[in-house]
Parts: sequence; C-alpha cells; structure tokens
Amino acid sequence: MDAADLELFERSLSHALAEHEGAALDASLVELGWHDALELEPRTAVATLFELQGSTPATSGALDAVLAAAGGLDPSTCVVLPAAGTSSAPGSLDGTRLTVDGLAGAGYDEAGELWVPAADEAGGHVAIRLPAAALSSVRIEGMDPSMRLRSVTGTVELEPADGVGVDLDFASLLAAGRLAISHELIGASRAMLELARAHALERVQFGVPISSFQAVRHRLADALVATESASSVLDAAWGEDSAFAAELAKSCTGRSARLAAGHCQQVLAGMGFTAEHPYHHYFRRVLVADQLFGSSAQLTRQMGAELLERGGLPQLFPL
Amino acid sequence: MELEEFREGLDAWLDEHEAELTPGGGVHSVEEEMAHLAAVRRQLYDAGWARYGWPERVGGYGGTGLMRAYLGEALTARDIVQPGFYSMPEVLAPTMIDFAPAELAAEMVPRLLSGEETWCQGFSEPGTGSNLANLGCRATKTGDGWLVNGQKVWTSLSQFAQRCVLLTRTGDLESAHRGITALFVDMDSPGISIRPIMTMHGHDEFSEVFFDDVLVPFERTLGEENKGWSIAMDLLPYERSSSLWHRAALLVRRLDQLLEAARPGSLDPRRVGEVAQLVWSFRAQSRASQRRLDAGGKLGPETSIDKLLLGMAEQAVFDLAAEGLAAEIAVGDRPEDQRWRSEFLYSRAATIYGGTAEIQRNIVARRLLDLGSDR
Repeated sequence: MDAADLELFERSLSHALAEHEGAALDASLVELGWHDALELEPRTAVATLFELQGSTPATSGALDAVLAAAGGLDPSTCVVLPAAGTSSAPGSLDGTRLTVDGLAGAGYDEAGELWVPAADEAGGHVAIRLPAAALSSVRIEGMDPSMRLRSVTGTVELEPADGVGVDLDFASLLAAGRLAISHELIGASRAMLELARAHALERVQFGVPISSFQAVRHRLADALVATESASSVLDAAWGEDSAFAAELAKSCTGRSARLAAGHCQQVLAGMGFTAEHPYHHYFRRVLVADQLFGSSAQLTRQMGAELLERGGLPQLFPL
Repeated sequence: MELEEFREGLDAWLDEHEAELTPGGGVHSVEEEMAHLAAVRRQLYDAGWARYGWPERVGGYGGTGLMRAYLGEALTARDIVQPGFYSMPEVLAPTMIDFAPAELAAEMVPRLLSGEETWCQGFSEPGTGSNLANLGCRATKTGDGWLVNGQKVWTSLSQFAQRCVLLTRTGDLESAHRGITALFVDMDSPGISIRPIMTMHGHDEFSEVFFDDVLVPFERTLGEENKGWSIAMDLLPYERSSSLWHRAALLVRRLDQLLEAARPGSLDPRRVGEVAQLVWSFRAQSRASQRRLDAGGKLGPETSIDKLLLGMAEQAVFDLAAEGLAAEIAVGDRPEDQRWRSEFLYSRAATIYGGTAEIQRNIVARRLLDLGSDR
C-alpha cells in the first residue's frame, strides 16, 4: 500500500470501528478488504487495525483471523487463547483426553467451531477442531466487558477415529497474537496521552493552564518516551520474525501502557476518575490486554530467567 | 557499496585483525586510550573502512551513514574501542562538512578520521550549561582576525586536541542566541591554557580551557558571523545519531558480559528482564532514528527521546552490575573489577551530559507534546 492507500484504509477502518460492533463490525472488515490485506501485507493490516482497536477502543473478531493465519488454520473458526496471564496452550492432551482452560475472543459468537491449541504428550503442539458446544463457555465481564471475552473450559474424550488434530506451530501463533495485542496497547497508550495532553492544556489553575507546570510536563514526557520506545521495539520485532522478539514487544508494550496509564491518570486528576470521562475505558483495555498471551510482569520475569539461563543476550535489531 | 556488503567485508577484516586492534583488559589511562584509538583509526582509515559513509569532498568514499553506525557498533561489540571517545568525530566532522569553507573541510576532516588529529568542542562555560544563549566567551574583531577571551569548561579531550570547534560571543550582551559565532581554533595558538579536571571515575578526560587574547583568522569562521546558534542546534541531533547507536552497542555487550560474570543467584530474574527490555528499547529507538536519517529525514527534537533512553538504560545496566558484582565493584581490584567500577561511576553522568534528563523532558514536552511554554 502506498501512503494514500494506507490513509484511506486507516480512515475506513476507523469509521467501521466507531460505527459498528459485533457481527456488523466483522462483516464490515470483510467488506473493507481487511482480510485480503492480512494475506498480502500482514504487518500493515495488523498494525493499522489493532492500533485503532486500542485507540477507539473497540473490539472485533479479527484476532481469530490473525491467529489462524499464523497457525495455518481454517480462518472461519474461533481460536481458543491461553488463559489470562499465561502463555501456554489452552489445551493439554493426555492420550485422547483433551483438557481445556482458556479464553475465547469476540469471534466466538459467530463461529460454530473452535480451534483448540493443545500441548501433546511428546512436547509438541496440535490444533484440535471442536464444535463450540463441546466445551462450556461463560461470558466474562471482568475489567473490560467491551472485549467480549469468554472463558472456555472442559474435558473432551476425542474419538480416536478422528485423529487428534493437526500439527501446530504454537510459537508462531503466540508470536502473532502478541504482536497484534501489542499494537492494541500502543493505540490505547497514545489515546490516553492525547486525553491527558488536552486536559493539561485546558485546565486552568493559579491563572495558568496546568500544562505550564514542569511536574505535569515531565509526567507526560515520560509517558511519551515509554510509548514511543515500546512502539520502536514493536516495529523492530516485526523485522525479526522470532518468537523471542514478539515476547519482548509484548512485555515492553504492556509495561509502557501501564506506565502511561499511571501518568495520564494523575494528570487527568479528578476528571479521569469519573465514569463520564473516557479515560477509564482505555485503562480497562490496557489492564485486560496486558493479560493476553502472557502479562508484562510474567513475561519480564520469564525473559530474565531465560537470559540468566543462557548467560548472555541474543542478537537483536540489526541496522 | 551497499550496507550489507560493507558489513560482511568489515566483519571479515575484523576477524583477521581483531587481535592486533584489541587493547589489553582492564582500565586504561586516558593517554593510553587515546594512543590506542589513534592507532585503530589509522588502520581503519588505511584499510578504507573509516572512509565509508563520509562524502568524497572530505576524503570519504561516500555511501550511507549507516556504515559509520555499523563500524562503531562492530568495534564496540568486539571491545576494540570505547564509544565515548571513538564517537566524537560523528559530531565534529558533520559540523565541519556543513559549515566550514570547502577547502578547510577538505584539508582538516581527513586528519580527524585517520586518527592523525583529535578535536574538541568548546561549548559549555561555567555560567553556560543548559542555557547556551548565556554564552560569555568573547570574540572581538581586530585587523588581524578574531581576538578571543574567556573560559570553557567540560571540554572533552582538549589536552589532546589539535583543534577546537568553539562557540564565542560576538554580539552585544543582550544578543542572547543571536550574537554567537562558531570558530575553528588551533589549540597550539598562543594564549590558550588548559587545566584538566579529574572525574569521580578517575579519568582526566575533560578540562577547563582559558583563552587569553587568542588570535583566530577570519577564514576560520564556521558558518556566518552571529549565526553560531544554528550550528549548535544543527549538530545536537548528530550527538544523538550514530554516537547513541554506538553507546547502545556498548550496553548490549556489557549486559551480555554481566550475565556471564555475575555471581550465581545474585540477580533477580525480574530485574534482569526489566534491564534487558530497557537496553533493547534504547537500541530499537536509536535504530529507528538511524533509519529515518538514512531515508533522508532530518533529526530533530524527537532525538531527545533517544537521549533519555540512553540515561535510563545505561544506569539500569550498571545498577544491575552493582547487584550482580556487588563485592567486585565495591572492594575488587582485579582489572575487570576496576573496569566495572569505572563504568558504574561513569554511568552516573549519563543523565547529565549532552543535555540533562530534565532538559530533555522539557524539550519533549514543548516540541513533541506541544504543551506550550513552561514560563
């Protein structure tokens, strides 16, 4: 896409996210050619849509398409995600017995079937296709009901005649999910920063806008530094094509979004504490998105342990 | 030559010459480090590697500036040079190329790149730190040239330097940033005296420099008279381009070495993860700036983000070292202990030099967030 195409694409997606939700939104993504873009220019498609999902904030069923594409799975099916705060496959296979504890995203409502990524006994991963009704599913309200998550749990005895699923590159699926949600976190961070910036310029105390106070300016500067550097990590991670780089991007964007949320809320002060002000929608989105595919806290500790174990750093981000 | 070809050629050449280019371990005096650096520059220049990425009119071979960024990264990653002193031409040479008369730049820049000469940068003064517009070192017009009187401070490597890019006050006292002129001064001119300052990490790498009726020919004026401010503003982003990329390479290397050297069980995995993330954030941000510059963009206030990240990442790495090698840094006297201690102490300055972290946040707030004036 050239610059003009990209601008049009972004504007159309932004409009769709503001105007529609649920099945209507997913239908409009098909109509706007987002799925074609995902196939031809995955990075542009994912970055554009998910940053907008964060900055609106809105939720579509697009995450399923991203995961299915990365895992080589049929895209019309909902993909079960790791349970909140974890990174392991939601399913585990013991012979023909499949135990599932995971999340499903907004695509669940329209999909009659589920792909369950599962760890097998040999240490590999398979994807198992099940009718949605085979597992019990409960709608999660939680911190951000607008994400329309569900918990998906159950134990299923698979018919041996059906085989036990298809081979799955779970690391690639996980990496794709992490990059997408990282963009959502960056989008939400930028939106919070814009709200706080506008408030600081408008709000007058002691006869001047509070944006003239260094204590306020430095908080917003720190929020911008965190957001921009996490965004640079995310951009660089796309060029790496490695599971480690995607893990790094997710932990950096999760952490920077939490930091930006803290600074922005303090600058927004009483206004940001009310339900009338839009800030809390973004804060909620950040807190829940941080829990998907491994939280920043969990990934940071895990990454540190990995680095200590190997006694050095992998080479990342060449010029 | 393309970057990829340069990278492969340089890596192969360094594989072959690494042993003769690498200094012994431990801490070196500034004199030893400068002598080593001059020898490395000479070899790199003669082999051609130090000439790529610089324009042909100053003795370069042309090509993308990313080659210079990679050269410094490769030398740092192999522990051949320390980026602090090594990277100084990355700021000084572009100033000459952009603002000196063409013949002067063509004559002088090769001397800098080949290690034949060292140059320094005379900006800061006792009363002029973050507020450059308060500059007081005066240059007065006489029949023979500029007559310079005043004092500079924190002038890195001035005692080793043959030349100085000097900012002087040429307008009246009220002219602030409008009455500043940049001069290219020979450091052996009569009337210059230097008093080195010892730092807390034991290096006398910068000095106070006193100018007492120092005569500088008019042909040594850089840019236009009274337009020195724009030279200073134009070169500040250079301080944050390839120099910061080199610094990021150092932090990657030292963190890598720390993970190997730290006492087992002394490092908390969560802290290691946080520090690694900061280092990679700094590297990713600096990489984005390098690529923007290479694509024809001009670096501006957004590089204040890079400088803030440098301070955060550098202090984080050496704070972590002070946990993993606590006893070595506190009471160790082996050469490697001395190096960790020296770098730990030096890292305290990372949020101060080149514009303090507070000044950078002010720039981010005013220029990037557009928050208006703070006064």
